[in-house]
Amino acid sequence: MIASFFIFYITVTLFAIILLGIYGLVTRSNLIKKIIMLNIMGDGINMLLILIGYRFVFPVFPPIYEKHVTFEEFLARAVDPIPQAFVLTAVVIGMAMNILLISYAIQFYRLHGTVDARDIAEIMGGKSK
Amino acid sequence: MKRDVFVSISFLMAFLLISYAITVKDVLGMAENPLRPLGGFYLRHAFAPSNLTSHSPEVVTAIVWNYRGFDTLFETFVFFLSIMGALSIFRLTEEQEKEARSLESREPHRHMDLITRATTKLVVIMIVSISASIALHGHLTPGGGFQGGSAMAVAALLLFAAFSKFTLERKGLTLGHVITAYAFGLALILATAIAPVFLYDGRLLQINLLPGETGLLNLDVGEYIAVTFGFLMVFLVLGISEWIFKVILRGEIE
Repeated sequence: MIASFFIFYITVTLFAIILLGIYGLVTRSNLIKKIIMLNIMGDGINMLLILIGYRFVFPVFPPIYEKHVTFEEFLARAVDPIPQAFVLTAVVIGMAMNILLISYAIQFYRLHGTVDARDIAEIMGGKSK
Repeated sequence: MKRDVFVSISFLMAFLLISYAITVKDVLGMAENPLRPLGGFYLRHAFAPSNLTSHSPEVVTAIVWNYRGFDTLFETFVFFLSIMGALSIFRLTEEQEKEARSLESREPHRHMDLITRATTKLVVIMIVSISASIALHGHLTPGGGFQGGSAMAVAALLLFAAFSKFTLERKGLTLGHVITAYAFGLALILATAIAPVFLYDGRLLQINLLPGETGLLNLDVGEYIAVTFGFLMVFLVLGISEWIFKVILRGEIE
């Protein structure tokens, strides 16, 4: 009961973080702030995935097989390894995405002197409010 | 102003709806959090003495490099593409590079004071040893190539802050050398992925045919080298002072 209360509490908090990230992504116009918000959202999603793989048994083991633990006990106590593997991939992809986005933002600033999305729309020929 | 209120209220409504669905309706099935059958499969077979074993007691590494090795291989390619994208965005023509180098040589060699430099030297040695232990033990303990490489990139950033880009270039870490090292890391990964095809008549990335743990170790080391030098490459390009770029690029536009 207490374990499920905590897991719900953490899940709802993580969803709040994800929504906050989306909110910042759509309301801020500075590209760097948008990238920061994207990262906050991505980290919230990654933590949610890790939480889904967690198991509320005591004591809980990492998914690493050890010699002095019997196989049945390992299966009963180890956390789910799949979300961890996915998050490892997602973190790398997020890092790669960050490198590219930051390079675009920096180069745009060097060429045109602004990272504001409205100004960029104006420079690129669109209409801005 | 009116739009802001509308957006805030709709986000609050979404949050309340999600909270209700998770806590009362338990849509994610998180109340008991049982071990899912697929996770159980990997836990059972990662180090079992049967056919499907991957010679790794660390189940996450077994999934990442063996069972779902293609994911990680393509992820390495994505990382490669993004770094190449960054490098091509910051690319200069030959004359511009010459101009940048002459402007850089006029720049004073700044670095921080003695205490910071001495501490940084000690900390960098520690970071390098820890990251090597993370990467080289990645198939037995928590960790792996990417984590070790990221830790190593932090050491490079510290050197950038405490000393300067020129110190690294004097020590031999110029852009050309770093790109060569990165290519070596990628070549190691590719060679390990292809080796079972030519040596043991297996399939691509069937590394459990290789003797013992060599496959996993090679992939971990390759990823470690690739990530370390990939990050260092981007840092070296970004480490050129902003005013130099402005002189070159704005001069080109106007």
